[in-house]
Amino acid sequence: MAATFKLDAGQRQALEDVANKLRVDSIESTQASGSGHPTTCMSAAEIMSVLFFHTMKYKVDVPKDPANDRFIMSKGHAAPILYAAWAEAGLFPVQNLLNLRKIDSDLEGHPTPRLSFVDVATGSLGQGLSVAAGMAYTGKYLDKADYRTYCLLGDGESAEGSVWEAMAFASYYKLDNLVAIFDVNRLGQSQPTALQHDMDTYRLRCEAFGFNTYIVDGHSIDDLAKALHAATTVKDKPTCILAKTFKGRGAEGIEDKEGWHGKALGAKAEAALAEIKGRIKNQGAHGITINAPSGAVPVHDLSAVKLPSPPAYKKGDKIATRVAYGTALTKLGENTSVVAVDAETKNSTHAEKFMKAHPDRFIECFIAEQNMAGVAMGCACRDRAVVFASAFACFLSRAFDQIRMGAISQTNVNFCGSHCGVSIGEDGPSQMALEDLALFRSVHGSTVFYPSDAVSMERAVEIAAVTKGICFIRSSRPATAVIFDNDEKFEAGKAKVVFRHDDAKATVIGVGITLHEAIEAHDLLAKEGIHINVIDPFTLKPIDKDTIIQAAKASGGKIITVEDHYPQGGLGEAVSSAVAGETGISVKIMAVTELPRSGPPKVLIDMFGISAKKIVEAVKAL
Amino acid sequence: MPSALLLRFLAIIGSFGEDGPSQMALEDLALFRSVHGSTVFYPSDAVSMERAVEIAAVTKGICFIRSSRPATAVIFDNDEKFEAGKAKVVFRHDDAKATVIGVGITLHEAIEAHDLLAKEGIHINVIDPFTLKPIDKDTIIQAAKASGGKIITVEDHYPQGGLGEAVSSAVAGETGISVKIMAVTELPRSGPPRYSLICLVSVQRRSWKQ
Repeated sequence: MAATFKLDAGQRQALEDVANKLRVDSIESTQASGSGHPTTCMSAAEIMSVLFFHTMKYKVDVPKDPANDRFIMSKGHAAPILYAAWAEAGLFPVQNLLNLRKIDSDLEGHPTPRLSFVDVATGSLGQGLSVAAGMAYTGKYLDKADYRTYCLLGDGESAEGSVWEAMAFASYYKLDNLVAIFDVNRLGQSQPTALQHDMDTYRLRCEAFGFNTYIVDGHSIDDLAKALHAATTVKDKPTCILAKTFKGRGAEGIEDKEGWHGKALGAKAEAALAEIKGRIKNQGAHGITINAPSGAVPVHDLSAVKLPSPPAYKKGDKIATRVAYGTALTKLGENTSVVAVDAETKNSTHAEKFMKAHPDRFIECFIAEQNMAGVAMGCACRDRAVVFASAFACFLSRAFDQIRMGAISQTNVNFCGSHCGVSIGEDGPSQMALEDLALFRSVHGSTVFYPSDAVSMERAVEIAAVTKGICFIRSSRPATAVIFDNDEKFEAGKAKVVFRHDDAKATVIGVGITLHEAIEAHDLLAKEGIHINVIDPFTLKPIDKDTIIQAAKASGGKIITVEDHYPQGGLGEAVSSAVAGETGISVKIMAVTELPRSGPPKVLIDMFGISAKKIVEAVKAL
Repeated sequence: MPSALLLRFLAIIGSFGEDGPSQMALEDLALFRSVHGSTVFYPSDAVSMERAVEIAAVTKGICFIRSSRPATAVIFDNDEKFEAGKAKVVFRHDDAKATVIGVGITLHEAIEAHDLLAKEGIHINVIDPFTLKPIDKDTIIQAAKASGGKIITVEDHYPQGGLGEAVSSAVAGETGISVKIMAVTELPRSGPPRYSLICLVSVQRRSWKQ
C-alpha cells in the first residue's frame, strides 16, 4: 500500500477498524491494571492508526532499525495506546497488553526503553519534541537519510515552555522531516485546558514559530492521512498537525466529559467496549501491510571513540580546565561519531573549538537549555552518536528534569558545566554553579568528573565518551597549574594521591580549584613542619572510598574536604557517606556557606572559606 | 509570602506505584537541600504536615515540603509542638541496638520494623527528623551514642544528597558513629509496593550479627 493522500474505501475502513481496536486495547489493558489513562488514549486512536498503519515506514520486527521512521509519544501517559499500536502491528501478542503496569512486565505506566520500541522515556511532559528534533536534525544533516520523525503531544502539555523551545529550534534548522501532532482533546488533568478547542489560536502560535500548520478533524482518517502526506511535500519547514479530538472518544457518557483523566473506566468499561467493538467491521486480522523504509542507514561503532593523541601539556603551565575541555573535545571529534551541542556559551565553554574544526557536527542550541538537553538525547538515540552538551554549569539546572528523564531513558549524553563556583569571580552568584554537584550526583547511574588540571580533563572527556549513563564534567574558569604527567592514567572511581606523608596530621581532599588550594596549603604547612596527605578524587561519583579510608586511617582518622560548592550533596557529603560505615574517621566539610557575591576570584575563594589560608587554619585547629 | 510551597508525590512505597519512574521524585531532597538558605520539611503525618505548612509560611527563604500520596497513620497528638531543626524521638530504649531514622513513608516503615523486632526481643530507637535541613544533629548524635554508635537511615529517595547524606555529614565530626544508608539504588519501575519493610527488618537482623 503506497503512501497516498487519497484513501480508497477499503483502506479507510481498515484504518478505522484499527483505530477502534486500539481503543478496545487501551480500555481492556487499563481495566486489567486498574489504573492508567484510557480516555487520553481514546482521543489519539485515529492518529495512531494512520501513523502506524499507513504513514510511517518502519520494520515492525526491528523497531530501532536506523532507517525506520521514528515516533515519540511525548504525551507519555498515553502509553497503553502506544503499546497497543506495536502489538496490533505484530511485534508481540495482543494479549500481553493485559500485563500493563504489572511488576514483572516491561509495559510500564509510562514508556521506558526497557521496551525495544521506545527510544526515550516520557511521562514528564513537554520533553518529547526536543528529542524528536534531535532525531530529525540527525536524519537531515548527519545521516542525510529519508527517515521522518513524528511526535505526538498533548494540548495540556503545550503549556510547557520547552515545547516552544523545540518548535523554535525545529523551524530555525528547517527540519522538514519532523512532524509534531497535537492531540487537542480539550481536557486536562483537573480541568479543561487554557485554549480548549480554540484551534485558531493554536494555529497562529505554531505558524508564528515557523511551522507549516494544518488543523484537522482528529477523528477523520482521511483528514489525518491527507495532512501527513502533504507534510512530506513541504520543504524547509517542519509541520504541525493540530488534531481536534475528544477525550474518551467513542464511549457515550465519557466522551468529552470532565473527571475521566487518569482513571480506568471501571463500571463503565463494559458498555464502552460493546459500543466501540460494535463499530469494528472486520473483527479479524487487519490485513494491512506496513511499509518498510527504502534505504539503509549505517550503524556507528561508538566504542572506537577515543583521544587520537595524548594530552600535551607542560607541568606547571597554567591552563583553565575549560580550555582543556575544548581541546579534548576537538581531538575526540576527529571521530565522525562525535557530536557537540551548546547553549550560546561556546566561546566560554570552549566548545567553539570543536565547532571550528567540525562545523558539520556542532549544533548551536541558543539560550534554551531544556531543548538542548533533549536535542542531545535525540542525537544520541540508537547509539548513533557520542554527544557532549555544554553550558555554564549553573544553567544546566533548568534542564534538570530533562536530565532526570534522561537517566530513565538510559541515555549516554555527556554534560560539561563550566564556570563552576565562586571562583568565576566578578560575574556574581547568578552565574556561579554551587549546587550542580548535588544535582548530577543525584541523577541515577551518573558519573561525575571534576578534573583538577588540563591532563585529567582530557582524560575525563575521553572516559565520559565511552561510559554508559549520563556523565557530568565540571570545568573551571580560572587558569590552574598542570599537575599530572601527560601519560598519567585515569579511571572513574580512582583517586590520585597527590601528597602522602607517614606523619600526616590529616588527609585533605580537594577538587578542581580547591585541589590547587589544598596543594598550596600543603606547601605552606610543610614550611612549618606540618604534613598533610592531599587527595584528588578525579570523580565524585563513583568515589574512591578505599583510597580515602586508607589515607584517613594513616593520618589519625582526620579528613578535611574542600569544595567550591555549597555544603549539601557535593564532595563533603560524598566523602562523609563513603566513610560512614567506618568508626574512627571524622570529616570536616569546608564549602561555601554564605550567599556569594561579585569579586575577584582569589578574594572570593578566601572570603567564602575555601582558600589555602583557610585550609591551613583548619588543619592547625584539629 | 516569604516561602514557596511545593508538593511532591511519591509512588514507590505506596499503593499506586504503577505510574512508574517518570512520576517519582527521587532526587528532590538533594535539589532542595542544595538551595542556599532553604528549609526542607518532610513531615511524616497529618499533624506534623499542618505544622510544617504553618512554620514554612513564616520562615524566611525557600521552604520545601515533601508530601506523600499514600495514606499513613496519624502518629502525633494534635497539640504536639514542632520546630524546624528539632527531631522527634518516636521510640527510645536503653538497650537499643541501633537508631533508625526514617522520614515520611519510611518513618512508618521504621515504626513497623520496630514493632516486628520488639516481638523478637530486639530494640531500636526510632527518630523522625521532621526537617532534613536544618537537621537535629544533637538529638541524632545523642541517640546514636546511646545505641552502640549505630545509625540506619531509610529514605524513599536515591542515596545522594538526601537523608542519608544529611545524617552522615551531621555526624561526620564524631568518631565512634557509623551510618548505614538505605535508599533506592536501582532505577524503579511500575508496580505495587513490596519488599521495603522486609528489607529493613532483614538488614537490621544482619547488622546485629556483625
